[in-house]
Amino acid sequence: MEGLFSQVAALGSSGVLLCGLILLWRRGVGAYITAFTWQSAVLAALTAAVGYFGADRQLYVVAVLLFLIKAVAIPRLLRRVAQRFTAGREPAAYVNTGTSLVVSGLLVLLAYAAARPLEAISDMPTRAGMPLAMGLLFVSLFVIISRRMAITQVIGFLMLENAIALLAVLATYGVPLIVEVGVFLDVLMGFLVMQIFLYDIHDTFSTTDVDVLKRLKH
Amino acid sequence: MADTLILAGLLAPWAVAAACAAALRHRQRLAARVTAAGSVVSLGAAMWLWANALGGRAATAGPGALFRVDGLSALVGVCVAAVAGLAMLPWPGTGQGDADPGRTRFFRIFASLFTLSMLVAVTINNVALMWVAIEATTIVSAVLIPLHRSKASVEASWKYILIGSVGIALAFAGTVLAYFDFVSLLGRRHDALNWTLLMEVAPALHADVLRLAFVFLLVGYGTKAGLAPMHTWLPDAHSEAPAPLSAMMSGVLLAVAQYAIIRWKAVVDAASGPAFTNQVLMALGLVSIAVGALSLVRQRSYKRLLAYSSVEHSGLICLGLTFGPAGVFASLLHLVNHAVAKSMSFLLAGRILARYRSADVGAVTGLVRTMPVTGPLFATGIIALMGLPPFGMFVSEFLLFRAGFAAGQIAATSAAMLLAGIGFIGLAGHLARMLHGARPDGVAAGEREWWPLAPLAVSLVVMVALGLFLPSGIAQLLGQVAEAFTP
Repeated sequence: MEGLFSQVAALGSSGVLLCGLILLWRRGVGAYITAFTWQSAVLAALTAAVGYFGADRQLYVVAVLLFLIKAVAIPRLLRRVAQRFTAGREPAAYVNTGTSLVVSGLLVLLAYAAARPLEAISDMPTRAGMPLAMGLLFVSLFVIISRRMAITQVIGFLMLENAIALLAVLATYGVPLIVEVGVFLDVLMGFLVMQIFLYDIHDTFSTTDVDVLKRLKH
Repeated sequence: MADTLILAGLLAPWAVAAACAAALRHRQRLAARVTAAGSVVSLGAAMWLWANALGGRAATAGPGALFRVDGLSALVGVCVAAVAGLAMLPWPGTGQGDADPGRTRFFRIFASLFTLSMLVAVTINNVALMWVAIEATTIVSAVLIPLHRSKASVEASWKYILIGSVGIALAFAGTVLAYFDFVSLLGRRHDALNWTLLMEVAPALHADVLRLAFVFLLVGYGTKAGLAPMHTWLPDAHSEAPAPLSAMMSGVLLAVAQYAIIRWKAVVDAASGPAFTNQVLMALGLVSIAVGALSLVRQRSYKRLLAYSSVEHSGLICLGLTFGPAGVFASLLHLVNHAVAKSMSFLLAGRILARYRSADVGAVTGLVRTMPVTGPLFATGIIALMGLPPFGMFVSEFLLFRAGFAAGQIAATSAAMLLAGIGFIGLAGHLARMLHGARPDGVAAGEREWWPLAPLAVSLVVMVALGLFLPSGIAQLLGQVAEAFTP
């Protein structure tokens, strides 16, 4: 049973990380949104699985909330934004695809190094996935700083949130439910405000390429 | 029971104010009165909590003592309630007077929610819910930055919400790591993230995991505290936001982020000793002082001047935390002084902007003769921020540097003094240019409506009082907190 549990955990977290890596080699906001949707769905399934194996019913609630908010509601809103004002393909990133993949590989290696003290003290069957969660965290940060479209930065931010949720569920079987609810509320509110700002940027600058946001200097 | 009532008195007025402003769409005058009355009640409750903490007792309320107010909470709580009360008065820049009641209403709703989330952040005992409250401050304050839509304000709001949210997400990763350490040791408990419980078990936690967690927490909350190199959103957001919001963000939001850093530093120090946290805080503090001070010299906008001065002072507060009990004492005093002087300066900057219609230092000349009340008050605020006597910042900077030398940090303290000197010159040069010279054409002279400035007399009194003598009520509280938060 425990062997199966750790396999499911490792497989699920690899799936979550892989969905994140799609952002690096695909070009096009539609593909990013699909990747994010799948990532959230896998994360929700993994959360439910941890709830089943770890015998924690609260995690089922978290999994359902996660699925509804991050795999249904937010992707739908994102698609509406994307249809409104993107021509599909995004302008070239600050870093090209090849370099991005190499950098991300290095970041995942770094995550393995950083997560070593964590794995050492844990005896949970899910611990093998922790470096992958850290890896996704670093890769999401890289996506946010290396992309030019505001909407891609938002997707990067949402993936960063997923990375932290993954870390929480693997390392601790989830933070207490009251905290989880607060976090979901913040994620949703934060996303809605970001969405408003996306429209603001588009209305004011007629583009969502953040390269134009260079007025304010010193 | 009394504690519960007082805590309700601290928090509820802001929820009521937001609800009133939202519900009374066409009766904003009434909503303004409710807000003003509420802010007085809230400040009164905060003062009561301060007096209560002086007795060495922490007030608690809610199920499982969810809310807990000790000396540190009371200190920051009073600052938040006072600055928010001041900022909610009718200042230019929030739609008051420019025939746009919708804008006034919008500002009042979100500024009240902003204050509420800051007060919740400093009174809640659970460090993860503290994170939720601090993240909420980002969201509700970000929507107010483009209150007057322009290219610059849209850009500033985007930078603020993106950098702020990403930074604060990292702080949550740090919180999760600390919780993970707790769970590995004691198993899953719903109260595991209570700060009081964390402090109890901290000596048994793994030092290396907590150190990793602290790096995440410091980057996260440091972003909100405006520490360099994560400060890049701050000059834009503080300069583009409506003046009363800038006053709150600069005066007390930075203090709330520092509060979170102080809480976590105590936990990590209890587990692994203060050497590690002191090193990283000192490095970030010095970089922030350097970035803030050097940027002051070449600013062209007086609102950005005030913003970079916040980076500098945030760095000083951070640096002081590493100098032992005397340093923590000085840092907290500096935090109070900064809240008072910076909020006043930003509110006045809003009035200057409304009159001159330009945020350029070069466009504002002859300020003393053009605005005979606002001008001298603004000069007073800047002089206080430069750290000159007889104002409070002179005392707190002096105490801070003395604590640094006493702690044997000669090099770091000397560097900080030198950089503070550069910042001083930068501010002084710009101020001199603004005060004197001829009044530009098209700018009306004289100030008939000076009475809205009357509440700033309170700020002025506090600034001078803290510079001339340290009231025992303040000294005693700061002493207690400094004692409790240094291992």
